[in-house]
Amino acid sequence: MFSENQSLLSRLIQNLLLIIYSIFALFPLFWMALITFKSDLQMFNTTFFFTPTLENYKAVLIGTDYIKTFIDNVIVSGGAVLVSVLAGVPAAYALARFNFKYKEDLAFTILSFKFAPEILVILPLFMIYQKLHLYDTYLGLIWVYQLITMPLLIWVVRGYFEDISVEVEQAAELDGYPWYSVFWKILLPLIKPGLVASALLAFIFAWNSFTFSLQLSGFNIQTVTVASLRYIASDTVHYGQMAVAATIAALPEVILALLIQKHLVRGLSFGAVKG
Amino acid sequence: MANIELVNVTKSFGKKKALNDISIQVHDKEFFVLFGPAGAGKTTILKTIAGIELPEKGLVKFDGEIVNLVEPAQRNVSMVFENYALYPHITAYDNIASPMRSPLYRKDEDYIKDRVMKVAALMKIDHLMDRLPARMSNGQRQRVALGRCLVREPKVFLMDEPLAHLDAKLRHFMRAELKEMQANFNTTTIYVTHDYMEALSLGDRIAVINNGQIEQLGTGDEMYYTPVNEFVARLFGEPEINIIDAEFVLDGGNKGVRILNQIKSFAIPEDVYDALAATGKTQFHIGLRAIDLSYSFERQTEHDIHGQVYSIEPIGNKAVLNVDVNDTILRTVSPPDLSAEMDSDIFVSVNMKNAMFFDAESHELVVRHNQAQYTKAVN
Amino acid sequence: MAKTKPVVAEVTQENSLYNKKPWLTRARPYLIIAPSLLITIGILVPFVSAIFYSLTNYSFRSPNWKFIGLDNWFNALTSPEYWHAIWVTIQYAAATTISEMLLGLGIAILLSRETRFTKILRVVLIFPLMIAPVIATLIWQLMTNNSVGIIEKFLNLFNIYNFTWSSSPKTALFTAALIDFWVYAPFVIVLILAGIQSLPKSPFEASRIDGGSAWFTFKNLTLPMLKPFLYIALIFRLMAAMQEFAIIFALTKGGPGDTLMNLSVTAYNTGFAFMKFGKSLPYILTLWLIINIISKRLVANWQKVMKQASGNS
Repeated sequence: MFSENQSLLSRLIQNLLLIIYSIFALFPLFWMALITFKSDLQMFNTTFFFTPTLENYKAVLIGTDYIKTFIDNVIVSGGAVLVSVLAGVPAAYALARFNFKYKEDLAFTILSFKFAPEILVILPLFMIYQKLHLYDTYLGLIWVYQLITMPLLIWVVRGYFEDISVEVEQAAELDGYPWYSVFWKILLPLIKPGLVASALLAFIFAWNSFTFSLQLSGFNIQTVTVASLRYIASDTVHYGQMAVAATIAALPEVILALLIQKHLVRGLSFGAVKG
Repeated sequence: MANIELVNVTKSFGKKKALNDISIQVHDKEFFVLFGPAGAGKTTILKTIAGIELPEKGLVKFDGEIVNLVEPAQRNVSMVFENYALYPHITAYDNIASPMRSPLYRKDEDYIKDRVMKVAALMKIDHLMDRLPARMSNGQRQRVALGRCLVREPKVFLMDEPLAHLDAKLRHFMRAELKEMQANFNTTTIYVTHDYMEALSLGDRIAVINNGQIEQLGTGDEMYYTPVNEFVARLFGEPEINIIDAEFVLDGGNKGVRILNQIKSFAIPEDVYDALAATGKTQFHIGLRAIDLSYSFERQTEHDIHGQVYSIEPIGNKAVLNVDVNDTILRTVSPPDLSAEMDSDIFVSVNMKNAMFFDAESHELVVRHNQAQYTKAVN
Repeated sequence: MAKTKPVVAEVTQENSLYNKKPWLTRARPYLIIAPSLLITIGILVPFVSAIFYSLTNYSFRSPNWKFIGLDNWFNALTSPEYWHAIWVTIQYAAATTISEMLLGLGIAILLSRETRFTKILRVVLIFPLMIAPVIATLIWQLMTNNSVGIIEKFLNLFNIYNFTWSSSPKTALFTAALIDFWVYAPFVIVLILAGIQSLPKSPFEASRIDGGSAWFTFKNLTLPMLKPFLYIALIFRLMAAMQEFAIIFALTKGGPGDTLMNLSVTAYNTGFAFMKFGKSLPYILTLWLIINIISKRLVANWQKVMKQASGNS
C-alpha cells in the first residue's frame, strides 16, 4: 500500500505521528514503574531525577496483604482458565467437526455470553450466590469467570480444529486408532500452540476482570483489581505505593503478552480473524 | 484379499446426491479403476467403502458380509487420500510406520523398520525418512502417503489419484511399479483417476462414473471400442473423438451415411446398415476417432472431404491436426514436425469401419461394426 | 432368485437398520458439548430470575418482598435519571468507539509499513490493552494528579494549572473516554493491522501501475477490503463501550454528580448502594435489550460483508 518512493518529508511525518502515539501509549507505564522507586518526600519536587528507594515496595508487600490478593488473582484466573480448557476444548471439537441440528445456534449462544453486560449478571447472582453459599468463594468466582473465559476458548480453539483437514483424522482412523487416540495423539499436538496462546489470553482477561469480583467477593477473596480500588478511593498521599500496586498488578500480563504474540489476533477476535 | 460389493448405494450431502443408486462388484485381487470427471463421486465411493461415509441407502459388503455398521478402523482397508492427509507433526518414517503402531494392527519395531524401509526404497524416498511433511515437495508427500497405504496387508487398497501430483516421468515409472506391486501383493485394489491413459493401462476393469451414476462398467477395450454413450466415447482417446451429425440414407443410389454436407454418402458395413435401418430414424451422431481420419494435401479419391488447415498442435511424438470443414473442426493425427500453412487446402478421407453411431437425442450407442466381438460379459 | 429377494427388501428402505449409526455415536456431539453448556447456562439462570425480581420491590434490607407489578418499570421510565442514563451511555459509547475506530485505523495504516521501527512498535503497542482498565484508571489518576502527576507538571510548562480532569462535569467524559481510548485503541489497531496484512498485493500493484492516487487507492481498494475487519472491531468495541463499568466506577463512581452515570453504573448504584434491587433492574434490562438488538443487526451485517469480501479477494 505504500509506494517505495514516498518523499522524505512524508516519511518523516509518518514516523513522527507514530512516535507521538508510542509516547502516549507507553510513557504512562514507564513513568508508573519509575515512581515506584520514589520516596513520598521526593514525590512533589522531583520529576525524573531522584534517589531511588525500595520503601514503597516494602510498605505494600510487607505492610499490607497485597501479596495474598495477588495470589487470589492467580488462583481464580488460573482456575477459571483450567475449567474452560477442560470443558471447552471438547466443545470446540464438537462444533468444528460434527454437523448436528442447532449447531450454529449453540455456537452463537456461547458467543453471546461474552456480550452479556456484566451488571446484568452480578446483581441477580449476588442473591443466588448467597443462598448457595458461593458468595466470596473461589468456586463461585471461578464459575462466574467462565462467562469471560469459556466463549473465548471455544471459539478460538474451534478455529484451530477447523484448520486441520478432516482427512488427517480419517487417515488415523483407517490406520487403526480409536477416536480418543486420534484426539490425544494427533489433534492435541497440532493445536497445542494455539491452545496455549488462547489459554494465556483468557487468563489475561480473567485477571483484568473487575465487575465480577467487586460484587461477588468480599472479605475472604479480593482480586487485585478490586484491591487497587482501595488505593484510588483513599485520600492517601502514598503515591509511590499506589504505583507499586499498579505495577505489580500489570507486570504478569505484560510478560504474558510477549509470549502469545503470534496467536494474539486470533484470540482477540475470537477466531473471526486469522492473524 | 476381499471381494467388495456396493448394492444400490445412495449418498447425499445436503441436497446434492453424490451417489445415486450405485451397484458395483469388485472381484478379489482385481485392479479396479474408477474413472470420471471431477465431482463425479469417485472419492465418495472410496470413502463409502472405507467406512468414512455412511450411505443413507444401500449396502456395502466385504466377502458377502454387510459391513455398513463396521467402524473404518475395523474394516482393515488402507487408503491413499488425494491431498495426502499426512500427519504434519511427525517425520516421514513415523507417518509410514503409523498404521503398524496402532492398537489394532500393532507390530514390533524391528518388523516395522524392515517394512518401512522396503516401502520407502520402492517409492524412492528412503533419503527423506527424517523429514517433516512441511519440508517436502508435493510429489514427495504423495509418495509418503502411498507408502503409508502400501505398508500394511489390508483387505483392499483404496487409492484416490495417488499419482496426480507427480511429474510425468515419475508418474510413468510409478504406474509400472504399482501394477507390478499389486500383482505381487495379490490385494484387491480400487483406484481413482481422471487420467484415461492411467485407467486403460492399470485397470483390469474400469467403471466410468458421472454425476453419481455409473455410465459404463467393463474392460478398457470395451470402453474404447464400444462406449455405451457419447460421454464415455469422449473420455477415452487423445485427441478427443470427433462426434458430428450424420444422415442415414436408406435407399437409392446414395445409400449409406452422409456427413459434413458432402453430397456423396459413405458406404457402411452391412451389420451397421441393418441396425440403423431397424431404428427407423435418419438422424444420428457419428463418432470417428482421430486415427480413422487420414489426410492428404491432394485429392486422392472422390470420397475425400475438402477442408482447410485450422491449426497444428504438437503433443510429444505426434501432433493434433485440426481441419476446418464448413465450420466444423475435425481432429486427426499427424507427425509432430508437419508444417502447413493456416487455411491451406487439405483433404480428409474417412475409414468407416470403426465408426460408432449414436442416437441423436439420447446420445447412446446404437451400433458399431462387429460390435459383438468387443463386448465381453459385463459385470 | 429367491435368495436375493430378502436383500432387496432391506435395501430399498431408506435409513434401514444398516444406514443409521448407533445412537451412542449420534449422541456423541451433544454429550461432548454438554459440560460447557451446563457451566455457562448455569450461570445465566439468574437472568430469568432477574426478570421476575424486576417486578418486585425486593430490597436487600427487607427480605419481605411483594409483587408490585410493573411499578418498577413505570417509575423508571418516568424518571429523569433513566433517560439521563441512556443519554450518558450513548455519549460514552459514541465518544470512545468513534475515536478508537478512526484513530485506530490511522495508526494501523501507519504501522503497516514494513520498517524495523514499525515491527518493534507492533509488539509493544499491545501493552495498554493488557492492563486491567481499573489499573489503567489508577495510572492516569496518578499522572493527572494535581500535586505530583507528570501530566500536571507537563501542562504547567504551558501555564495550565489544575486542569479539572475528572472533577468537573465539563471534562469528566473527556477523561473517561481518554482512558478508555488508551486501553482499547490497541485492540482496534491490532485487528485492522492484521486485516491490512492479509490483503492481497496484486490489486494495489495494479492500481499503482494504472496511476491511482493514494487517496483513490485508499477509498476504493483498501477500505472496502478492510470492511470485515472494521466490522469486527466495531462490534466488539461498541458492545463493550455501551456497558462500560470498571473505568467509570474506578474514576468517579459515576460523578461528578451524575455526569457519568450510564446504565451500568446507575444500575449498580441503585441495586447495591441504595439496596433497591427491583428498582435497578429496568436499567439492566434496558441495557441488555439495546445491546442485543444492535449486536444482532451488526453481526448479520458482518456476515453479509464477509460474503462480499471473499468475492473480492
